[in-house]
Amino acid sequence: MEKIIEVKNLTKVYGKRSAAFTALKNINLSIEKGESVAIVGKSGSGKSTLMHLLALLDKPTKGQVEINGINSTKLRGKSLNKLRNQEFGFVFQQFFMNSNDSVLENVLLPLKIAKISRFKRKKMAMEALKTVDLEDKARNKASDLSGGQKQRVCIARAIVNNPDIIFADEPTGNLDSATGDKITDLLFKLNKEKGVTLIIVTHDEDLAKLCSRIVRISDGNIISDQTVRKDLQKKSSDRREKEAARVKKANERKGN
Amino acid sequence: MKFSDLIITANHNLFRNKTRTFLTILAIFIGSFTIILSNAINTGVNDFIDKQVEGIGGDGYIEVMPKNVSDQLESIMSGDSSVREYDPNKGSLETSYITAQDLETIRAVDGVEKMNAYHMASTEYITSSKTSKNYNITVSLSPDNSLNVDMSAGRKVDADSSKKEIMLTEDYVKALGYESNEAILGQTVTLAVKQNAKCLMVANPTDCLATVDATVTGIQAPGVLSFGGGARVNLALNNALYDLAMEGMPKSTADRTYFAIGRVDPEKVEQIRTELDKLGYTITTVDDTAGMIRTFFDVILVVFNIFGGIALLAAAIGIINTLFMSVAERTREIGLMKAMGMSDRKIFTAFSLEAILLGFWGSVIGILISMLIGYGVNSLAHETFLTEFPTFQLVIFNPINMLIITGVIMLIAFIAGTAPAYRASKQNPIDSLRYE
Repeated sequence: MEKIIEVKNLTKVYGKRSAAFTALKNINLSIEKGESVAIVGKSGSGKSTLMHLLALLDKPTKGQVEINGINSTKLRGKSLNKLRNQEFGFVFQQFFMNSNDSVLENVLLPLKIAKISRFKRKKMAMEALKTVDLEDKARNKASDLSGGQKQRVCIARAIVNNPDIIFADEPTGNLDSATGDKITDLLFKLNKEKGVTLIIVTHDEDLAKLCSRIVRISDGNIISDQTVRKDLQKKSSDRREKEAARVKKANERKGN
Repeated sequence: MKFSDLIITANHNLFRNKTRTFLTILAIFIGSFTIILSNAINTGVNDFIDKQVEGIGGDGYIEVMPKNVSDQLESIMSGDSSVREYDPNKGSLETSYITAQDLETIRAVDGVEKMNAYHMASTEYITSSKTSKNYNITVSLSPDNSLNVDMSAGRKVDADSSKKEIMLTEDYVKALGYESNEAILGQTVTLAVKQNAKCLMVANPTDCLATVDATVTGIQAPGVLSFGGGARVNLALNNALYDLAMEGMPKSTADRTYFAIGRVDPEKVEQIRTELDKLGYTITTVDDTAGMIRTFFDVILVVFNIFGGIALLAAAIGIINTLFMSVAERTREIGLMKAMGMSDRKIFTAFSLEAILLGFWGSVIGILISMLIGYGVNSLAHETFLTEFPTFQLVIFNPINMLIITGVIMLIAFIAGTAPAYRASKQNPIDSLRYE
């Protein structure tokens, strides 16, 4: 398999001298194309810092991050921005949407930044919305949506530029379990059908078990890196499907 | 992001917080409105002065006075009260007359065609055979035939004629007992002057009056900048009135004057000005007089522009404040856009554009409102105090001026926006995304 991310001796120190705090200690990690990786740890363990460094949102104190074999720690300005814009998609716990703009405007923001023409970007955004099943909400104001719908819009925004990697920071953290499952399904569907590499930061063990690989972090060190057996992964997702069906039935009953 | 997208987005973002944006634009508007309207009025007034000066004519007509007099007049007008040493060569104001010798010197300068001493005549009253009443009147000299006068009837007085001629304003026609402007043409009126020498001897001031008869040649149309004002007389009548007033006075006293008037070759005015300046004389042309009026209005314009400038300065602080608030509110959005690969420079541009657009809208609204008010004032003025001047536009909007003003205001707004825009561009995407 092709390596998409390779991390070598990654160290991140916040603050200086006596106030210095080492958030990541000499991390080595390599992620292959098409994997779904859960980065699990308690708050303060350094999992978010790792994701920020992988997503090139921050500079490491030591070590390097290679994306597609290119040492990205040396990238500056335009090429860095281009890489982030074209290779990465982001899904955040707090959605980060411009609530006064329409759903469509929110989704096509990365394309606007990429200088894609008005007509083309609208078409691409509509396609992305179709993937998350929200094409009928394109004209709605983002603030009028429910939490689950908002996160689906964020996924549409994350995939609109056909990225190789999607970074998801606690994607279900702000959602109830039923809507959370829907979001998870969507993310894994993208992983399986489009081969998008998925990197999920979470403390939710159920969500982590759905991934093909779980990287556990504590105090800035990787304490375990296990590959989830396919059958377990399957079981977990089957259980989720059953749960979803049950909720759906219950809702239908309520409707009657 | 494409530039067009940046502009559209910036404008869209501006109107997210409508109240705040509106108030900021209002502040800019106060400044732009003041400057635009005062400039438009200045343009209108200058245009009017130009038209009037054209109408006055008088190419080649000059007034001359000794430099000593003009210097002292200037220091009196400017309120200069400094103590100066007495210079026997210059003397005081009292001793700086235009003498017969001065006239010879001036006449000898190349390009001077005619030069005469000017004595200012004053009159007590005017009357005619058709009325028993006497009316107050001021007369002024119509010194040169090249000066145009707008006539309602008849012709202007002939400056070179030896006949005593006068032209009146319309108001005097009825008072003097004539039915119409045409009826008074060619008629004789009587002017009375006070005889200064005789008045020293008599107890009752009316006992020392003497009269001169003059022919009415025409009626002047009303005008604002007509050269002189009141009734206008030719040199023959002026001198007759003056001589009568000075009868019995020593010749040296009667001959005293500070002014000479004459004609020069219009092509050589500036050359003559320099030449006479060397000889110790100051000349004034019709254009100079118009220039003085123009300077007066220009000073008023500068004052208003300073007011406008102060308002804009306050508005600039408003822009800085608005944008800092906007940057703080949109911290997460900025972080998101950076995470999505928007460059620092584009973020800076995006916020700068918001500042520039604030300036743009402030100016545009300033232009629209001042135009609305300007044209309103124009038509109101034409119905009231400017009925006589159908072509005079009190307020004139010069498109180039307005473009320049808009440009300057947008520049000020841009400068005001640099600090907030820089702060936005330097934000760390992670800190921005963590920000709650």
